[in-house]
Amino acid sequence: MLNEHAVKEDDIIAQQKKVVEDIISVRLITEENSVFERTEGGFVSLEFTDGNGEKKFYSRVSVHQCFPYSDPDRYISVREPDRDGREIGLIEDLNKMSKKTKEMILEQLELRYFAPVIIKIRSIRDEYGYSYWDVITDKGPCRFTVRMGGSNVYSIGKNRYLVNDIDGNRFEIPDLYKLTAREIKLLDLYI
Amino acid sequence: MNLCYTLPDELFEKVRPVLKGEKIIYCLPLDLNLNGEFTKFGWTVVTRRRLVVISDDQIGEIIELSEADEIICSHEVNGGILIARQDGSDRLLARFSMRYLTQYSYVARGATLFCRGDSRVLENQEREKYCPKCGKVLPGTQGCPRCAKSGRMFRRFLELCGSYAIRLSAITILMAATSAITVSQQYVNRRFIDNVLVPATGTLGEISAFFFTMLLLTGAALALTAFNTIWSNSIGTRISRDLRARVYAKINQLSLEFISSRQAGELMNRVVHDTSHIRAFMEHAFAQMFTRIFIMAGALIAMVTMNFKLALLTLAFAPAAFALIRAFRRMERRLWRQQWRFDDKVNNRLQDVISGIRVVKSFGQEKRETERFESYVDRMTHIQKRNELFWATLYPFITLIITSGTFLIYYLGGRDVLNDRMTPGQLIQFIAYANMLYMPLQFVSRLPRMIMRLKTSIERINDILDEEPKIADSPDAVDIEIKGDVEFKNITFGYKSYQPVLENINLSVRKGEMIGLVGSSGTGKSTMINLLMRLYDPDEGSILIDGVPITAISKNSLHRQIGVVLQETYLFSGTLLENIRYANPDASRIEVIRAAKIANAHDFITHFPNGYDTYVGEHGYTLSGGERQRIAIARAILHNPRIIILDEATSSLDTETEYQIQEALERLIAGRTTFAIAHRLSTLRKVDRIVVLDNHRIAEVGSHNELMRKKGIYYKMVMAQLEMHSVRK
Repeated sequence: MLNEHAVKEDDIIAQQKKVVEDIISVRLITEENSVFERTEGGFVSLEFTDGNGEKKFYSRVSVHQCFPYSDPDRYISVREPDRDGREIGLIEDLNKMSKKTKEMILEQLELRYFAPVIIKIRSIRDEYGYSYWDVITDKGPCRFTVRMGGSNVYSIGKNRYLVNDIDGNRFEIPDLYKLTAREIKLLDLYI
Repeated sequence: MNLCYTLPDELFEKVRPVLKGEKIIYCLPLDLNLNGEFTKFGWTVVTRRRLVVISDDQIGEIIELSEADEIICSHEVNGGILIARQDGSDRLLARFSMRYLTQYSYVARGATLFCRGDSRVLENQEREKYCPKCGKVLPGTQGCPRCAKSGRMFRRFLELCGSYAIRLSAITILMAATSAITVSQQYVNRRFIDNVLVPATGTLGEISAFFFTMLLLTGAALALTAFNTIWSNSIGTRISRDLRARVYAKINQLSLEFISSRQAGELMNRVVHDTSHIRAFMEHAFAQMFTRIFIMAGALIAMVTMNFKLALLTLAFAPAAFALIRAFRRMERRLWRQQWRFDDKVNNRLQDVISGIRVVKSFGQEKRETERFESYVDRMTHIQKRNELFWATLYPFITLIITSGTFLIYYLGGRDVLNDRMTPGQLIQFIAYANMLYMPLQFVSRLPRMIMRLKTSIERINDILDEEPKIADSPDAVDIEIKGDVEFKNITFGYKSYQPVLENINLSVRKGEMIGLVGSSGTGKSTMINLLMRLYDPDEGSILIDGVPITAISKNSLHRQIGVVLQETYLFSGTLLENIRYANPDASRIEVIRAAKIANAHDFITHFPNGYDTYVGEHGYTLSGGERQRIAIARAILHNPRIIILDEATSSLDTETEYQIQEALERLIAGRTTFAIAHRLSTLRKVDRIVVLDNHRIAEVGSHNELMRKKGIYYKMVMAQLEMHSVRK
């Protein structure tokens, strides 16, 4: 019963192989093979010429950092915007792109990554299993709530900490020892 | 969760002209502006025709919903954006933090319905995270513990003590009696000195009378104290046992969602440690607490009535001591919290490594892991040492300050005796009372620490007990005899409601039918099963069994009639007999054997030296994958369910075993409604209908032959699998 389809088998296999190749190949986006353009809606479009010289236009692309904390400017994955979107290519180093492109990409990264940095801790009080934080971030003053216990305040490298609040927002403390002694004392209970 | 907040009046006046009298259907706050900064709250207002964004008190984007294709809430990293899709191009409307993501995902879906001319209004059943009154977090409860605060901790403690509360008050009364005796002893003492010894007129008879009175009083006090201690110890142990059982039962009852949000080590700690802290409090603090407080009060009253001035002087040092203690209390609290947090951490780390020991060993990382663990333990030791040192240095210091009050009495009281303002007996009584007042002060100064410990433990236990199971039986849930018709009706579900894993699933299954679920990983096959077993409730739509929504069927009766054979069969520590009987402990031995025979398991079991009494699980006999699966099948057969869920293993077994398992399965599923997450072609060809899930929706439904003719997704999958087989050959 399955044999009647056997003729088509080779086609399918070839197709599958192409898909796999497409997934595993690394395509680099450079200043030469790409044209990024701001869209009216507040996003960025891309015209990309691939290795075979084929041009393709994407009306909107989204950008993902491969190493958001350890190497934020390098290896930016440019993708189709849907959830299951394909990767169009990688920008190896943002600083090697033109100033205009870099600006546009940074804007889009800013849009995708909401990562407020805690500059000043006004107070942390705890009550009934939650701690209530009142801080000033680089995005403005903010109050948020962290569940006690578990690992909601954790280290990602030397003196660098992340705080997850109960909503799933993430706040960064880039260097613990840049805070004042009083602030460190407040934090001491949680790290 | 609220999807329609009330707009502040002055803003409402501003948008009124734009809304043209239309009713506001959804209204949500915006906590970020388009630059991603926390600013003054903005708002998103949706009517049936329009979506209006207000930012920094100004009206921003206005979208005519009839002109838009779709409103999208896009989950970005730690935040979200709202997008309007119009003629295939996207327009950025607003940004918000994670706090409002769930609500925006609903509103976006609701607004999209309006775009398509569908006037339905969505509701969100999830609980509010914050108390709308005080803004504090709600621990999964409906009421806000903070807004109903008075005496809560004490009430909670009594609640935790449960039926022992009455016995505890009985002990308290006995303690008061003990204290009264202790205080009155000193009165007898004074009489002895002043009336018998000092005038030197006392007779031997008087002396022996005093001797027996003292003996009686001391004996009574000792007996009462011993009795109190024994009683409160035993009550403490029982309370702790009850609590352990309650917390454990609660953890079992809570939804997977709650449990998977915590680490196993942390939950274990709460069951084991926090409950024993409560016991420790009962044993070490409660038994002495009231006696000492009563004694202090009695001594104080006696002192004041005897010599007011001297009493005042004696007390002068008390406030200083208390001020000192209060100052240290804060420090105390943080030190304990820290130590506990680290305790949790070390436990988790240990569990992590032990669970992953095979990975550690196979990559040769033993040394690194040892070093890492040592550094943890070192830090923990450091914290403990620091804490102990702190106590060790603090307490002698406090003791010194406190007791310096007593020295003063010798001087001032002695002067009073010489001036005949006091008798020697009174002075001795007074000094005894001063000691009674000051000695327990040290104990009282330790009380905050003990109470703090207790409070923290109560907090952590209540954290679990307060959590309400997301999936609870409705009060009118009924037991039904399931026949086996199953219907999925417009099911939409996501583990996080803003990220649907299943979208609009409709499937109707007849009694006795076998359904094969296929699709690449992450498309929602297991999720469909989880919903059918009611481990989670769908966000939208309902599942009907024999026409009855499963939310109206009691969980007990539902689970009793659904049998599961999972990919990874988990055998509990125990004998094979116990494992097969897991869901049905009353099954007779012959029933177990019959089930094992049907499952093709009887033969290999009887070959084991210990037969059905073979101990498996941790520290026990290790079964092969095929054997475990057949045990699971036997378990399911004994369970005699009406609906069977089969999660086929992806790994292939040898042909002989596979044949035996297939055969056993066929006997198991005969006549029963079956849902199989199937990978093997051999299984798929046998099922009545195949449901292909793709991109979170049902893509294809039909028999093997129908789908092969259709040449869609299923056809491709089969071809790919054949190709893999031919490569292997």
